[in-house]
Amino acid sequence: MDIERRGQWLRGVLDLCVLGLLRDRESYGYQLAQALDTAGIGPIQGGTLYPVLLRLQRTGLVTAQWREGTAGPARKYYQITDLGRAALRQGGRDWAAFVTPVTGLLTERAER
Amino acid sequence: MNRMVTVAEMTLRELLRRRGVLALMLLLPLTFYLIRRDAYVGQSVRSLLLGISWAVSTAALFATSAARELEPRLRLAGYRPHHLYLGRMFGLWVAGLVIALPFFLLIAFDAPDLRYGGVAVAMLCCVAVAAPLGILIGALLPRELEGTLLLLTIVTVQMLIDPAGAGAKLTPFWSSREIATWAVDHTDDGYLARGSLHGLAVTVGMVVVVAAVFSLRLRRRRHLRHLPLG
Amino acid sequence: MNPDEWLRAFAAELHHRRVRPDDARHVVAEAATHLRDGGGDPAVVFGPPGRYAAAIAESIGAPPPAPAAPGPVRLQARGITKRYGRRTVLRDAGLTVRAGQIAAIVGANGCGKSTFLRICAGLISPDEGEVTVTGRLGYCPQQGGTSDFLLPDEHFVLVGTGQGLARGQARRAGRAAARQLGWDAPGDVLTRHLSGGTRQKLNLTMSTLAEPDVLLLDEPYQGFDRGTYVDFWEQLGRLRDAGRAIVVVTHLLNQLDRVDAVLDLTPAGGTVRDGGAGWGGRA
Repeated sequence: MDIERRGQWLRGVLDLCVLGLLRDRESYGYQLAQALDTAGIGPIQGGTLYPVLLRLQRTGLVTAQWREGTAGPARKYYQITDLGRAALRQGGRDWAAFVTPVTGLLTERAER
Repeated sequence: MNRMVTVAEMTLRELLRRRGVLALMLLLPLTFYLIRRDAYVGQSVRSLLLGISWAVSTAALFATSAARELEPRLRLAGYRPHHLYLGRMFGLWVAGLVIALPFFLLIAFDAPDLRYGGVAVAMLCCVAVAAPLGILIGALLPRELEGTLLLLTIVTVQMLIDPAGAGAKLTPFWSSREIATWAVDHTDDGYLARGSLHGLAVTVGMVVVVAAVFSLRLRRRRHLRHLPLG
Repeated sequence: MNPDEWLRAFAAELHHRRVRPDDARHVVAEAATHLRDGGGDPAVVFGPPGRYAAAIAESIGAPPPAPAAPGPVRLQARGITKRYGRRTVLRDAGLTVRAGQIAAIVGANGCGKSTFLRICAGLISPDEGEVTVTGRLGYCPQQGGTSDFLLPDEHFVLVGTGQGLARGQARRAGRAAARQLGWDAPGDVLTRHLSGGTRQKLNLTMSTLAEPDVLLLDEPYQGFDRGTYVDFWEQLGRLRDAGRAIVVVTHLLNQLDRVDAVLDLTPAGGTVRDGGAGWGGRA
């Protein structure tokens, strides 16, 4: 896949993806990066991920606290807020509304 | 010196761009001259001189009023009070001479048998006195309308007062009248001497008063201490 | 660069970008944890320390880079009392402004804001009190500080000559200062034909042209549209960061988050309170 194009797409939805991962359980940065990779989005570097988390925190979509995990050192755990859930729902609808016509256009062109 | 010249230059530039004012400044003395021209030429010349005095002092009044808010900031920008009032005065003197010149030529061609040197000196006195007079009134009266009315009063008194009376010498433009009499009626040289002296004295006096008023107004205030950057 | 070196460099960059120490500590710790968990070269995982610090600073919404500590006192007004007849306009008002600070004078109409500023500029005398100004003083009146029948360039020359600038220099300096306000001063339009807002830009440009150390502005933005108004405050920010001491008379309270001190001259007031809370902890 064209790496530059993928990066551009990712910039638009990475915050929503993070919110989606946090919907069901709290998590910390490294774990989120791994989960994104596992989900098939591809490797996300810390330099990309943490600024997104900070912005989500600043805008009140997630909260964060430092806590000792079950094993290992203290980590900064992120939890989604009600505001974050609302943003996730809205973002999901917007994404679907955006991606459906794009997919339509692309497949039509391909069939001609 | 550079500062004073710049102020003089800007005063002139402003004046030259006020086309309406400039036209009226030329029209007024011309009207004064023509209105009595069919009768006695001496009266016409005297009216013309008053017209020039009035025009130049009014221009000075307006220039001073217009600069009222500008001057404090120029003071802060590095001008001393004398740069400002002397610069303005020089500018107005030059403007006055430029206005007077065509009228001198008019008289020289139109009115025969005069002492033209005397006419020139009389015009010089008008311009010399009018500039500081207008500046002074502009500085003392905050609004142009009041200043204009005061100038009107001065010129009217000047026109109506008996020039031989004791009080006449206290009017600012008595000099030009006295010299005009010498130039038109070929009276004895005492008129010229008295007039020239009066013109010189009034001009110097006016300049001194203007200097005092501006130095006071634009003085460094005692409550304000300036420390150098260190 | 090993992880420890990278983290140290990163911490220094955050400090340099004026990220608050608390925030910086958290971000550095989080990055350290991440590196411990996942390994990898920090320069690949996070990128160069400077670029990552810039991204973090932007995400946190840190204040723009500016000298942190205010400089020496440039303007000090103490015990200013002014009466007009029997009416006391100012009673024991005072203000201290340091290099690199903006102070706002606020208050209801007629409470003596302009009077206070004119006393600071030395244009009128107070009945009591004194003002000390260090360095060069610039003053921008509310209106009328320009000349209708002169060109903008001629204004620049007039002000510049007072500073001892040559004409060409003065014109260039004036046009450069005008551009800071988003205004391209035209060479051939008389001031009387400029719109009210543009005339105010000229007015303001004249006061900054002389590069004063202390700049006193009396509601200089009347007639400004929204964009110019933003340019104006940005220009003030630049002047502040360049170490100027600035006093603005204003009635627009929504701009107070950009200033370092406020003098409220509303009659019961006359006290200085600290502004700047909205500037992310600028003290």
